Parts: sequence; C-alpha cells; structure tokens
Amino acid sequence: MTELESSDGENSDSDAQLQEAFAAGKLKQGLYVESEASKPNICDIRGMKRKLEELKSSLEWAQRLDITSSPAPTPAGIQHEDLEEVHDDFQRELRFYRQAQATVLEGIPRLNKAGIPTHRPEDYFAEMAKTDDHMKKVRENLLEKQLSMDRSEKAKKFRELRKYGKKVQQEVLLKRQKEKREMLDAVKKFRKGQQDKLDFLEDMEPSAKKQKQSYGPRQGQQKPANDIQPNKKRQSRDTKYGFGGQKKRSKYNTAKSAADMSDFSRKINQPRGAKGKGKGKGKKFKNQRAGKSKRQKFKNKN
Amino acid sequence: MGKRKRQRESTTVSKRPKEIKLPTVISSDEPVIEKKKWTNKQRVLIFSSRGISFRSRHLMMDLRRLMPHSKSESKMDRKDKLFIVNEVCEMKNCNKCIYFEGKKKQDLYMWVSNVPRGPSAKFLVENVHTMLELKMTGNCLKGSRPLLSFDQTFDSDPQWQLLKELFTQIFGTPSHHPKSQPFVDHVFSFSIVDNRVWFRNYQILEEDGSLAEIGPRFVLNPIRMFEGSFIGSTLYQNPHYVSPNLYRRMLRKKVSQKYVSRVQSKKSLEDRRPEESYKTDVTDDVFVTIRPEQAKGDVKNLFYRNV
Repeated sequence: MTELESSDGENSDSDAQLQEAFAAGKLKQGLYVESEASKPNICDIRGMKRKLEELKSSLEWAQRLDITSSPAPTPAGIQHEDLEEVHDDFQRELRFYRQAQATVLEGIPRLNKAGIPTHRPEDYFAEMAKTDDHMKKVRENLLEKQLSMDRSEKAKKFRELRKYGKKVQQEVLLKRQKEKREMLDAVKKFRKGQQDKLDFLEDMEPSAKKQKQSYGPRQGQQKPANDIQPNKKRQSRDTKYGFGGQKKRSKYNTAKSAADMSDFSRKINQPRGAKGKGKGKGKKFKNQRAGKSKRQKFKNKN
Repeated sequence: MGKRKRQRESTTVSKRPKEIKLPTVISSDEPVIEKKKWTNKQRVLIFSSRGISFRSRHLMMDLRRLMPHSKSESKMDRKDKLFIVNEVCEMKNCNKCIYFEGKKKQDLYMWVSNVPRGPSAKFLVENVHTMLELKMTGNCLKGSRPLLSFDQTFDSDPQWQLLKELFTQIFGTPSHHPKSQPFVDHVFSFSIVDNRVWFRNYQILEEDGSLAEIGPRFVLNPIRMFEGSFIGSTLYQNPHYVSPNLYRRMLRKKVSQKYVSRVQSKKSLEDRRPEESYKTDVTDDVFVTIRPEQAKGDVKNLFYRNV
C-alpha cells in the first residue's frame, strides 16, 4: 500500500523522465521504491590497526588469561540449529555455554602449566561474590520450584489415575448391563420356547464367581456355540415354516410339490357326511384352533 | 559476644599464605627465584552519570564486585562534558574506564575507554540481568581472576580485534593484585551474535567443563569507536545500530499508521461504493404480493377488515 502511494506521489516531471528511461530500455518490470539514503559508514581500518598496535601490551598469557575458542561440540541428543539462533533463547544460551566450556577445557591445562591454582581447597574460606544470604535465597527458590513441579506432576498423575478409574468403572457398569440384558434375553427366549436348556444360568454365574472358580477345574463345561440347539418344538416349526436361508421363491409350487399328495388325508379333507353339502363343515370342526387362554396355558406347560 | 564472633570470622577469612618449603641445600649456581610481583597495574574506574535506573546501578555494582582492580567514583552530572571523565580517571589514578550513561530513565549507554590516549567505544546496553537474580545459581570468590573467553568472530574484523584487546585489558584481573584471590574459578564469556557482544559470567564447577551461571548478563550493541578517550575522530560506526529512540518512534508510527490506514480504507470504500448496484425497473415488483399469512409487522394491518 505504501509503496503504491509512493509511486503515485511522484510528480509529472519524474514521470516524463521515467517514460524516457523506459523508452531507452533502462527500466525493467516491477515496482520501483525509493531507497533510503544510507548512513555514512565509517570504518577506518588503518586507524583501528594503528590503535590496536598502540594498545597491545606485551604481557604473557598468565597475566591476560584470554582464550579465543569456538563452541565445544554439542552433547548428543541436543540438536543444534543455526537458523534464528538469536531469537531462540535456549539455543543461544547453549552456544554461549559451550563456548565458555571450550575455554575452560583449553584454559585449565594452560593455567596448571603456568602454575596458577584452579582448585580451591575446602578449608580455604574467603568472601564470595554472592553472599551466603543470597545463596540461601537461591537455594530456596530452586527448592520451591522443584517442589511446585513435583506437586504439579503428582496432581497430574492423580488426575490421570482418576480418569482411568472412571473409565474402568464405566466399563464394568456397561459389562454388567450387558450381562443383565443377555440374561433377560436368554430367559425370554427360554420362556418363548426358543431355547431348551437352562445353561445360561450357569454361564452367567462364572463371571460373578470367577475369582473363586479360577483355581479349581470348571464344573459346568461350556459347550461350543454351534452345539446349542433350540428345543424340539422350535425345530419342528423351523422345518415347517422355515428358518434361515432364502425365503424368496422357496414356497413356489413346483411340479413335484403340486403332485405331492402326502398331506392329503381323506379323513380330514373328505369326511363322510360332507358330500355335496358344505365342504368346510367337518374340517372346521376337526381342525379348530384352541382358545387363546388355553394355548397359553399349554405353552407354559412345555 | 558479637565482637568475639566477628573476630573469629576475620581469622577464617584471612588468606592462608602458602607454606614455602625451602630446599635444604642451596647451591650458588642456581638462578635466583624471582619473587612474584604485581606488575600489571591496570586500574579501572567504574562509575556512571546521574539518572540511571536501578537495574543499571545494580549492574554497575556487580561489575565493581567482580573486578577487584576497579575503583568507584560518585555519579557525574549529566550536564558535564564527557571529556571531564578523563580528568576524573587521572585523579583516581586509573588507566581504564567504564562509564555508564543513563538517558530518558530507560536507555543505558556504556563507554569503555583506555584513558590517556584512547581508543574508546560507546555501546548501547540491552537485556540487562544482574547478579542478584535468583535464577543464576553459580557463585565464585569475590575478586578471583576470571578466564576471558572470546568468540572466534573477535579475530575477524579490525573493530572486533580492537574491542577484544580493550575487553581483555579491562575485564582481566591482573595477577597478584592485592585484592584478588589466587584461584581461577570463573569465566567471562564474550560472544558476537547478531552484531552485538553478549556477556556471560560462568562459574567453573568442575574441571571437566561443567559450568553454572553467576551473572550478570548483558548485551552490548556497539555504536561508535573513537580514536581518543571520549574524544577524537571516529574509527568505526556500526551501520546496524538503530537508536532506541528511533526504534520506539517506528513502533509508535506503526501503531498510528494502523489507525490511519483503517480510516483511509473505510473512506475509499465509501468512495468506491456505487449508488445503485443494478439497474432495476421500478415496475418490476408491481405484481409481487404477500399472502396474509406471511405478513409481518405493520403490513398486517393491510389485511385487517375495518369493522
């Protein structure tokens, strides 16, 4: 936006100049922005070198203790990235640290050679740069930080544990519900006569008494799932009305079924007194369905 | 009671001179053992102008505490000319000087100078952390000599070379200085990153190279270097330097421009907005009618029968 404005703001004279320049082929495509006048860059190299010679003292290294060193190699596990090092606090500080480390590694043998002690004996007491009070504060601060970190970690762990416990509880609840549902289903099936045996009552129990039974041999050995069969009545009904398989087209008449007279019984279908008169009378009488209450009573007996 | 205690402390504090074992037999042919002497008589005057912030003052005190060869002086008036510093140094018998200058109660400038004949350098001090901060866990003897660690960049350009020499002479404690301790237990590290000098102070915990930071830490952004001490022609001017005033002004301008551009864009939108979006026929909606159920508000009244 500002660049555009600056190009718009040029007066007509410079426009004419620009056109001329363009005609001459000096201009290339793109936006031209006025560059800022650069600061006078003073760098008097000769003067600096002269001053350096003047300043340099002919002191031995033991007096000066200066060491130029490149940063020590990074410890394994910490990646070193040169990009944007200035703004990455950790990387920057690590670099300074490693530089100082390299200096120490190089300097201590040199100091020892020069006879300058680097290790303070334990019984040497002297005033320190930071007072004992201050160091105590530092230690307390560190301790407090560690404590708070420990506390937060503990709280975090506890929270996670609680979450996990909740999950487990929910699972148990769901499992119980499922078991109950299955049980009720099984009972219902049994009542309807779809299932013959009362095995499920035993099957349900092991889950409740698992701990007790786990060590002993199982009493009620479970049958494989395909071994369970419905009761006789259901089986016969299945054969009659069909269960499973394709139902489509299965009840069409075929030549064979049309010719099949096995179901025909003269007694039933052609009773004696039914000649000529109402055909269904006898049949109606013979095949009469029992009343509902009777049927239910019968069902319950089975 | 108190007095007695103090006395005991003073006995423990006092240095134990190393026992010198004299050889049992001395031959006259052996060269005479030279006595160790305090030969390098560097003295650094560390002081400031009036009007520096508390943090800068703490930094100054830290430097004084860490450098046993430093001397102090009361704050200088801001109105005084800078070359008076030379006279002050001369009076204090110092040949090096670190002078802090506070401006606008927020910016801290630091002069580093070799007093009688130069050179001198002016820095802007940024990111100051003092030794009193609790996150720096290291500690060292008061007045022990530091190792001076320099980045390799210090050997590249002449301005850095000159600064290195200046820093070495100022921050290095002379050996056998009466106030110094005989052990080397910390490192001053100078590194160049982003055209600035970063200062760090580490304690040497163990000789295998594990360190702990003592502080203070600060960043020196070089501005100019002069041939003389606080005077003379410019040897070097940092082209990357942006004065804090200019920086703040740019920030403020950026914020103000945000408002201006927003107002402008609003105005231009108003200008560009056409008066009518489409050419429509007024008679188009003659046959648009509302069913009584859909009427809302006052339109409903149209459908009420007046009884």
